[in-house]
Amino acid sequence: MDLVIQVVVVIIQIAAVLGVVLTHVAYLTYAERKILSDMQDRLGPMEVGPHGLLQPLADGLKLFFKEDIIPAGANKIIFSAAPILVLVPALIGFAVVPFGRDSLQIGPIEITPYITDINIGVLYVLAFASIGAYGILLGGWASNSKYALLGGLRSAAQVISYELPLGLALVGPILLSESLSMKTMTEAQGGGIWNWFVVAQPIAFVVYMICAIAETNRLPFDMPEAESELVAGFFTEYSGMRFSFFFLAEYANMILVSCIAVVAFLGGWQAPLPALEFIPPIVWFLVKVYFLLFFYIWLRATVPRLRFDQLMAFGWKIMLPVALVNVLLTSIIKYLLN
Amino acid sequence: MASNKSLLKTVFFSEILQGLRLTIKHLFKGKVITQQYPHTKPNLPDGWRGAIVHLRYDDGTEKCVGCALCEAACPSHCITVISAERPDLPQKRIAETYILDMTKCVFCGFCVQACPVTALAASKEYELATTDKRKLVMTKDTMLTLGDKYFPVREKRPVYSDAKINLYEKLKAQNFPHVKKGEA
Repeated sequence: MDLVIQVVVVIIQIAAVLGVVLTHVAYLTYAERKILSDMQDRLGPMEVGPHGLLQPLADGLKLFFKEDIIPAGANKIIFSAAPILVLVPALIGFAVVPFGRDSLQIGPIEITPYITDINIGVLYVLAFASIGAYGILLGGWASNSKYALLGGLRSAAQVISYELPLGLALVGPILLSESLSMKTMTEAQGGGIWNWFVVAQPIAFVVYMICAIAETNRLPFDMPEAESELVAGFFTEYSGMRFSFFFLAEYANMILVSCIAVVAFLGGWQAPLPALEFIPPIVWFLVKVYFLLFFYIWLRATVPRLRFDQLMAFGWKIMLPVALVNVLLTSIIKYLLN
Repeated sequence: MASNKSLLKTVFFSEILQGLRLTIKHLFKGKVITQQYPHTKPNLPDGWRGAIVHLRYDDGTEKCVGCALCEAACPSHCITVISAERPDLPQKRIAETYILDMTKCVFCGFCVQACPVTALAASKEYELATTDKRKLVMTKDTMLTLGDKYFPVREKRPVYSDAKINLYEKLKAQNFPHVKKGEA
C-alpha cells in the first residue's frame, strides 16, 4: 500500500512539473515575441485575447489540427521517432532540478520540491542533453532533403563542439560543492550572494552561458536553423504536431539550461541576502530563471548570427581552452585551500 | 597599449554590451510604430488617390456633362460613358450611363485631370476588398453616393447671365431651330 501511494505521489509530481514546464514553454514563446517586438519598436501579437495573451493557445491548437505530412522519400520510422527523441531528453532533465527548499508534508506523504535527487544529477542532465542531438541529426537525415541534412550536420557538429566546454564549465561548481547532486550543489551556495558560485567561477559562468546558447541552437548560434541559408534547418520537412515537438523541445531546452545555470552558478532557490529569506525559495528560483530567459531573448534581439567557421573556431579555440584552464585553476586553488 | 585595450574590450564583450544597452533602451522607450490597422485607420494625406467618385453642385444636380474625356484619358480603359441630351435642356448633355470598372482602374487620376467641369474626384476610399467582384463595377449612382460621403462641401452651380437665359428662352419659343455656326 505504501508503495502504491509513493508511486501515485511521484506520478502526480511528474505531471505537475510537466504541466508547469509546458505552460512555461508556451508562454516563453509569447514572451519572446513580445520582448523582441518591444525591442524592435513593434507590438507583437495583439489580436488573440487581451494583448495577445491567448496566442500560444491558438498556435498550439493550429499546430495540433494541421495536416501531418511525411515527405515521399523520407524514412518513415526515423522521421516519426526524431521529434520524440528531441522532446523527451529536453523534458526528462527537469527530473533532477530542485525548485525549492521545503518539502510539503501531508500525513504520511512527503512531497519534495524536486522529482528525484540522484547523486549524479549534473551528469544525468548532460547525458540526456547529448541524446537530444541524435534526434536533430536523425530528423535531418530522415527528411531526405538537402536543407534538413545540412542543418542536421551543422547541429551535430555544433552540439558536440559546445558540449565539451559546457561540461567543463560545470566542473567548476562540481569541484566547489564536491557533489554532482543538484540539491547538494544548491545547499552549498547558501548564506548570501557572495557564496554563489558565480562569484567564485565567473569565467565558468560566462563559458556556460555561451555554450548553453549554442546547445539550444539559439541566436547568435542558430546555425542549424539559419533561415536565410537552410530554410528551417533540420525541421524543414516537418509540419503540424511533429514540428511543434521540435519547437517545444527547443524552448524546454532553453528553460532547462537556465535552470541548471541557476542551480550551478546563481544559488538555486537561495535568497541573495539572508535578510530576504522570508520570500519563498521557489520565488527566488523563478526570478533567477526568468532573468536568464529574458537575457537569452535580449541577446537574440541584439547580436546577429555567426558564420559557421567562426562558430567552430570560437568553440574549439577559445571556449574549450578557457574552460580547461578554469578547471585546472579551480582544482589547484581548491587543493591548496584544503 | 592600444592592443591591450582592444584585448580587454574583446575579453569583456564590450561591443556586445553596447548592443545590449541599445536594445534594452528600446525596450523601455515604449515608442511603437506599428499601426493596429483594422482597429485604427491610417491618417491619409490630402491628395490621396482612392476610388474615383462623381461630384454634385450645391443644388444637388450632378456635375458630369457626359463629354467622355475621362474615357479618352483612361490608360486602362476602365471608364465607359454613354452620353445623351438632357430631356429638360436639350442643348445640355449628360452621361446616360457611366461605368467605372474598379477591377481595371489603376488609380492614376488622369480622369480627374481630364474632366473639364471637375465632376470627378479621387476620394479617400481605399478599402475596396469584397467577396463579390460585381460590386467593383461602379455605376454613376454608386459613385455619386461615394462622392456625397467624401465631399460634403459642394461647389456652387454657375449662374447663367441674363443674356444667355434670354437667348435660351427665344430659341425655346422657336422650338430650337437648327442654327448655323456663329449665327446665334
